[in-house]
Amino acid sequence: MQNLKLAVTKGRLLEDSIRLFEKMGLDCDELKSPGRRLIHGISNYPLEIVMAKGPDVITYVEHGVCAMGIVGKDTIMEQQSSFYEVLDLGFGACRFALAVKKGYDFYGSYKTRRVATKYPNVTKGYFLSKGMDVSIIKIEGSVEIAPLLGLSDGIVDIVQTGNTLKANGLEVIDDICPVSARLVINTAAMKLYKTQIIDFIDKCKKTLDQK
Amino acid sequence: MIMIYEKDVMALESYKIRTPEGTRDRLFAECVERRSVQGAMTSLFKQRGYHEVITPEVEYFDLFVRAKNPLPQKSMLKFVDREGRLLVIRPDCTTPIARIAASRLRDAALPQRLYYNQTIVRVNDTDTGSDSDIAQCGIELIGAPGLKGDIEAVAMAVDTLRAAGAGHFYIELGHVDFFAGLVADLEIGKDSIKLLKSCIEAKNFTLYEEVIKSISGSDADCLRRLPYLFGGEEILDEAYNLTDNTKARAAVDYLRNIYFELKAAGRGEYLRFDLGLVQSIDYYSGLVFRGYVEGAGNIVLAGGRYDELIGDFGADKPATGFAVYVDSLVSCLPPVDMTMPDTHIYYEPGFLSTALQLLDSLPKGTAVLSHCTSMSEAESTAKNAGIKRLFIVSDSEISEVRLNAKS
Repeated sequence: MQNLKLAVTKGRLLEDSIRLFEKMGLDCDELKSPGRRLIHGISNYPLEIVMAKGPDVITYVEHGVCAMGIVGKDTIMEQQSSFYEVLDLGFGACRFALAVKKGYDFYGSYKTRRVATKYPNVTKGYFLSKGMDVSIIKIEGSVEIAPLLGLSDGIVDIVQTGNTLKANGLEVIDDICPVSARLVINTAAMKLYKTQIIDFIDKCKKTLDQK
Repeated sequence: MIMIYEKDVMALESYKIRTPEGTRDRLFAECVERRSVQGAMTSLFKQRGYHEVITPEVEYFDLFVRAKNPLPQKSMLKFVDREGRLLVIRPDCTTPIARIAASRLRDAALPQRLYYNQTIVRVNDTDTGSDSDIAQCGIELIGAPGLKGDIEAVAMAVDTLRAAGAGHFYIELGHVDFFAGLVADLEIGKDSIKLLKSCIEAKNFTLYEEVIKSISGSDADCLRRLPYLFGGEEILDEAYNLTDNTKARAAVDYLRNIYFELKAAGRGEYLRFDLGLVQSIDYYSGLVFRGYVEGAGNIVLAGGRYDELIGDFGADKPATGFAVYVDSLVSCLPPVDMTMPDTHIYYEPGFLSTALQLLDSLPKGTAVLSHCTSMSEAESTAKNAGIKRLFIVSDSEISEVRLNAKS
């Protein structure tokens, strides 16, 4: 049996993933003190963990260089790639929302609305489903600034507690959809290494159900 | 330092040097690998009575615009001809062949066995590392309805990958009627069916379970298991026992019949099943299949029965076929060793004919002509290039100089 590779999104999702792996009985000693190495073995399970940024997790899984990946639904929705999305891991939960300056009437005009976001595809899809044509401005970070400076009428972003919005005088007017971490599988790998992959999925599922 | 860097960036920006997004130059070993795989496959096609067709590189956009067209228009590379008509670079091999079947071959005796060995162009998002320029090699079996047509297509798929030298591979079979049968009896809307299909296709177990919760009826349990219904022969029994829907059971029986015939023919080990192979497109009309090879991250072969397509061009003919993604297949095969010339042939003026005769008598690709103007220059040039042997052709005699290749 060869070691399959699982790409995990660095940061909070990695911490949550390690907690899940430990509950599953996987030896995470190497993962917990990674140093600067980006690929780590698990001594008691045929798996190697690859640490990567969210969009790159998708790229690695899609190209099949990693059989599996753990990545946020937000990134999956934005990248629109093809693979199997088999499990909602529950952690990393937040939601996509449309927010505007407090009291601003976003829908009260015939003018094409301008929306700032890190997620242009998600934004496009959301307004398309409402039959609305909006113009989208891609912003790389701290999107909250855009409406404050008068660059946009609103923002589409992931919201967890809403504290950042509140601190900047913004409020959510539409909830778009909830997001959380997902286990994704490369299509060909699923077919070629079914037993091994299903075993891993079942282990994850059992552990998640115990909560 | 900064100046050099900027110069490099400018060179990168130059369209003189770069090839268009998604395309690349292929040199030496890459060509040998692609050609040898194509050669192995096409020689099998010819052996089994298939004939080659070559369709235009450029087609009218309209050819690919149909109600059930699975190709998004943004994936086609388009331009305009002198009359202002919209053209595309061939984005698919099967559609032009369907046109041929309905026009030039309209009255030809059936079944027609056709094969192609061409490239298609699909426009991808930028910087994804995916090729736009895709070599496809495949067959279309036109006018062969029913079981024996499908058996031939699947047997061809297995033998094609074997002939190409693929090691560990599976051809995975599914049937559109299994899902169609299950949902036919349910009281759910078209949108829900579409959503279910896309969940099964993406094996999005989470969303699928959410959607299926609201569905009741005798086949609900079977639907619940559907995304998991993939694997070996045992899947067919499981699927059969999960439903008593006539259409769905007939689909399983059909797959079983194909399997038994191929198993008896010694090809059972290569077959797998996925009843969740439902295709979000309505392109296929019966059996669908895909090929996976160890080492390739993507599907290497895709095919199935498409009985409706040729009808779109005005002649109803059942058809089945498949395409092999040649470069994906090549990527899982061992690399080839390239023969590099180790022999030079120097000839005195007037002895070209003898030199060429000698060159052609040596093993292919092992020798080249020396362009030096004197014997001593030929010797030192060959030595410097690490050449092992030098032939001198003069006065109707050939002498051989053994050179100690530089260490």
